[in-house]
Amino acid sequence: MIEITITEEQRDCLQELINVAMGRASDKLARYLETFVHLQVPHIELVSSSELPQAFAETYGDDSVTLLSQGFYGQDGITGETLLIYRADHTKNIANILGYEPDEVSEMEQLTDISSILTTTFLNGLAEQIDNQIAYSAPRVISSSETSIEKHLQDLSFNWELALKVAISYQVTDYEFNCDMVLLIPGVAIENIQQVLDQILEEY
Amino acid sequence: MHSLVVESLNTGVILVDADYNLVYFNHFMQSHPALKSPDILGKNLFSVFPELPKSWMTRKLQSVVMLDSPAFSSWEQRQYLFKMQHTRPITTSNEFMAQNISMLPIKSDKTKNEVDHICITVEDATDVCFYQEKLKLTLAELERSNRTDGLTQIANRRYWEERFNTAFLSAVRYNEELSLILFDLDKFKIINDKFGHQAGDKVLIESAALIQSMLRQHDVFGRYGGEEFAILLPNTGLRGAYELAERIRVAFENQIVEYKSFNIAATLSLGVVSYHSGIRNYDDMLTRADMALYESKRSGRNKTTVYQAS
Repeated sequence: MIEITITEEQRDCLQELINVAMGRASDKLARYLETFVHLQVPHIELVSSSELPQAFAETYGDDSVTLLSQGFYGQDGITGETLLIYRADHTKNIANILGYEPDEVSEMEQLTDISSILTTTFLNGLAEQIDNQIAYSAPRVISSSETSIEKHLQDLSFNWELALKVAISYQVTDYEFNCDMVLLIPGVAIENIQQVLDQILEEY
Repeated sequence: MHSLVVESLNTGVILVDADYNLVYFNHFMQSHPALKSPDILGKNLFSVFPELPKSWMTRKLQSVVMLDSPAFSSWEQRQYLFKMQHTRPITTSNEFMAQNISMLPIKSDKTKNEVDHICITVEDATDVCFYQEKLKLTLAELERSNRTDGLTQIANRRYWEERFNTAFLSAVRYNEELSLILFDLDKFKIINDKFGHQAGDKVLIESAALIQSMLRQHDVFGRYGGEEFAILLPNTGLRGAYELAERIRVAFENQIVEYKSFNIAATLSLGVVSYHSGIRNYDDMLTRADMALYESKRSGRNKTTVYQAS
């Protein structure tokens, strides 16, 4: 078991970086999508891999949800995955939000497209502030509404024990859209991000 | 040196400017027929490749420039964007290359913080696509065989019971009609003893085929035991179920199964029950059908009995 704890200062610093990243993302998204995207105050915590399936089960229960993942890797060993979770009844208007022609794009592609846009705008905003450059893998549909998200996560054997978890909710009220984004930075990458935070705190 | 590397990549690389005009493409992309003609550089991406889904892809390219972030297209959602041959035409069945595509923002002028080019990479995912499709087919086949009776090719008992359970719950919840026919081949043991087990099997196979041809699409026909069968009739009342049972009985009586030089005739005994509020559960309903079937046997066979609440 690796002993990792996050200090109060580190958490506040990360919170501040995330707030700024959210502001920048919201700004860019508004220009591209021509509608206002609300990002709700994030929740930051350390989670253990054994708790993760249960945590998802508690949040989403029996709801019909689709889970997507997009991996990212930056410099200084800052890597992780973002999970995007969509409830079936809040995703009817994605094609309209994205400005697609009706029936031009399948439902799954609408989800992968919007996931990618939300993930990359937010993380780019974070990367800019810590002078980092992030590359992304393509978003993938991990589980669709027919299989339970908890079951799917339980089937995975994680090769990490702890992860830094940042949960953000997105809302586009004009289109009755909302979704959750869970950023997970696992294992050694937590220490790498802590070093970055400590450096910022020192300079500040 | 860098350009040599890009040329020799096993990945397609295309560079367009902010107006989507072609600036560069690497060797891999030259297998695309559209890039064979001369003077192609400087032309618009969508006129060079008319197969591209223009309005969707324009929106994606806009996002690359405006958000300064990559966009993707996966073969799982769209098999390909660029219509190209692939390198495994012999050992896979895909006609065109399955592609994973990335569209990446490029800032060529370091002094300005502006995306002025887009790099499009094209990866051949034909292998993955082919095996994924094969896996899907195999899983579907596995699921089918898991619920089919090997001999008669109708539903096996486990699957039939699963369907009955679902239908029963739905009948209770929505107050729908639901009927059940349970039946048994009369004196099947004698057929086996007299003509052999292979003859018996042939009677079962042909009988199942005959009865299946008389059913509607939503009826679920299953082999319940050795020579015992069950039919689940959703949205069917007692009268309809009884009429069907009688038609099956008469058709069966007139059926001759040929085996070697033998002509084998057989009859059925049937029990019919319909769902009503007195029936508490699924087992309850099955037991009543069984009692009606037993009554048909007891009173001389080749008969249909309807369960009557006493």
